[in-house]
Amino acid sequence: MNRERTWALALRIIRTFRHDRRTLGLIVIVPLVVMALIGYMVGDSGKEPLRVGVVPPALTPGGEAAPVLAFQDQLRRRPGIRVTDVTSEAMGRARVAEGSLDGLVLAEPIGVGPTASLGRITLVTPGLDVQVETPIALAAATAAAEVRGLHVTPGDLPGITVDRVSLPANRRPSTISYAAPAMITVFGFLFTFMITSVSFLRERSSGTLERLLASPIRAREILAGYMVGFVPFASIQALIVLAYATLILHAQIAGPVWLVFAVLILLVLGVVNLGIALSFEARTELQVIQFIPLVLLPQVFLCGLFWPIRTLWPPLQWISKLLPMTYAVRALREVMLAGAGLIDIAPELAALAVFALAMIVLGTAVLRRLRV
Amino acid sequence: MADIAIDAHGLGKSFGTVRALDGFTLSVRTGEVLGLIGPNGAGKSTFIRTVAGLLALDRGTVTVLGQPPGRGVANRIGYMTQSAALYDDLSVRENLSFFGRIYGLGRSTVRERTQRLSDLLRIDDEVDRPVHELSGGQRQLANLACAMVHDPRLLLLDEPTVGIDPELRHRLWDEFAALQGTGTTILVTTHVMDEADRCDRVAFVADGRVLDVGTADELRRRTGADTVEEAFLTLRGGAGS
Repeated sequence: MNRERTWALALRIIRTFRHDRRTLGLIVIVPLVVMALIGYMVGDSGKEPLRVGVVPPALTPGGEAAPVLAFQDQLRRRPGIRVTDVTSEAMGRARVAEGSLDGLVLAEPIGVGPTASLGRITLVTPGLDVQVETPIALAAATAAAEVRGLHVTPGDLPGITVDRVSLPANRRPSTISYAAPAMITVFGFLFTFMITSVSFLRERSSGTLERLLASPIRAREILAGYMVGFVPFASIQALIVLAYATLILHAQIAGPVWLVFAVLILLVLGVVNLGIALSFEARTELQVIQFIPLVLLPQVFLCGLFWPIRTLWPPLQWISKLLPMTYAVRALREVMLAGAGLIDIAPELAALAVFALAMIVLGTAVLRRLRV
Repeated sequence: MADIAIDAHGLGKSFGTVRALDGFTLSVRTGEVLGLIGPNGAGKSTFIRTVAGLLALDRGTVTVLGQPPGRGVANRIGYMTQSAALYDDLSVRENLSFFGRIYGLGRSTVRERTQRLSDLLRIDDEVDRPVHELSGGQRQLANLACAMVHDPRLLLLDEPTVGIDPELRHRLWDEFAALQGTGTTILVTTHVMDEADRCDRVAFVADGRVLDVGTADELRRRTGADTVEEAFLTLRGGAGS
């Protein structure tokens, strides 16, 4: 491995970017526009509130109703939803079915008398629209966390959890907090994949790859140069997405910020090599662009952003376990929402490292094939 | 064997059912300008790419500067591809610096070579402009400069004068002659027959093999033709019948 040659290649990529102001702008502007849109769409203001039904508990002398009442009070305070009392569970279910309620939140007490605490929380929704279901589930989970903080030690209460993320008891996360980790991952993946595969395709069609292959540079030096050249841009992009999410959209980052970058860079290293390997399957830039939905969409759908992985059809769960984005999103959620540290996300980092290594092996094999 | 730069014997290479090289035999002497002349698809580029170490042969043996082609001799070979293989967004200087560094040149050497090459090829005014702003001829000059940045002993030029106006073409051939003066061996492909007179020797290539090799005069004399083009057609017709 010749460090000079690798560095020359990385520097060339950085210079190309510097001259290509449009691409540089897109890296920054597209995430901001999309974030602003998503921030508005899933944000806690500016939209009609969702209609949520609750069943007020019967006022028993023992006091078991108290935690349920506290929960419902908290729920009423959540932004973006309007809580309506219904007389019975059956009535509520009927109204959800006919569409006059977006969801019904049922809470049960555990225990008797004054020591009773909040038990199982069930969300009844039509199951038609995640954009409706998710905010209600979040509101319920947050309200439960508030009550949990008042009544018992955190952790022994089943709340509504989204995927593996448990809500920190003393925070009021906005919905964007849940979207931010996934968005950093999706943007990082999208731009790295798109730009590497297109630049490598150009390298092939312009003849510069042929020129490189006729030079003393090794396949692994080419790959290393590309990886080193792309990391700064992926990092800048992540920095901007993070800054926007935290400063403007008030998303939270509970864990160490460097760990967010570590996860992203590990993912980017794999994606650079994937982009290079797949660019050989395309003849034109148009064909490369067609790979993007193929590679990206299944990962976006199966990474737990829209539907919790454990609720997926089992074969899809298996597929999702093979996709790098699943681990990146999970790791970033753990860090940003639950404040996880390096040790907590070691399994996810290991999975991403395996992906990166596998892609480096694939990229090397593809490049080696081109030489004598 | 020090006076032989490229020694190829009975090369065979097929792409699917197409025989790109079919018994291709040729020796290129050190320090000469040898032109490969023939129609498109004759096997000229395939031979150049084999010498550059980009193709594995089906048959035959080839040595380049005393070694098999590949990374081992890559440092001593300059390869100018058919199209201007440059990074469009980068300036000529940045392209030169990139390829120079890839060939292991230090920063100051790269700077000095850039100066020398832009003087030599008279592209000083263009050297800091991005490649995509250059005219076709200027691009081709920049392309040649990138192939020469590491002072190769052997230059492989694949159709260097395609799409270039006659004046610039003359200048390019003057550069080749000047390079030859410094002891560089040049293997150049063309299908412009009148360029044959600027080569020390010419190899007629058709159907994946060399029909004949000699100076342009020898080839004309041998075939009794007035022009190189006629000589080629006579030889080709003779080979076909």
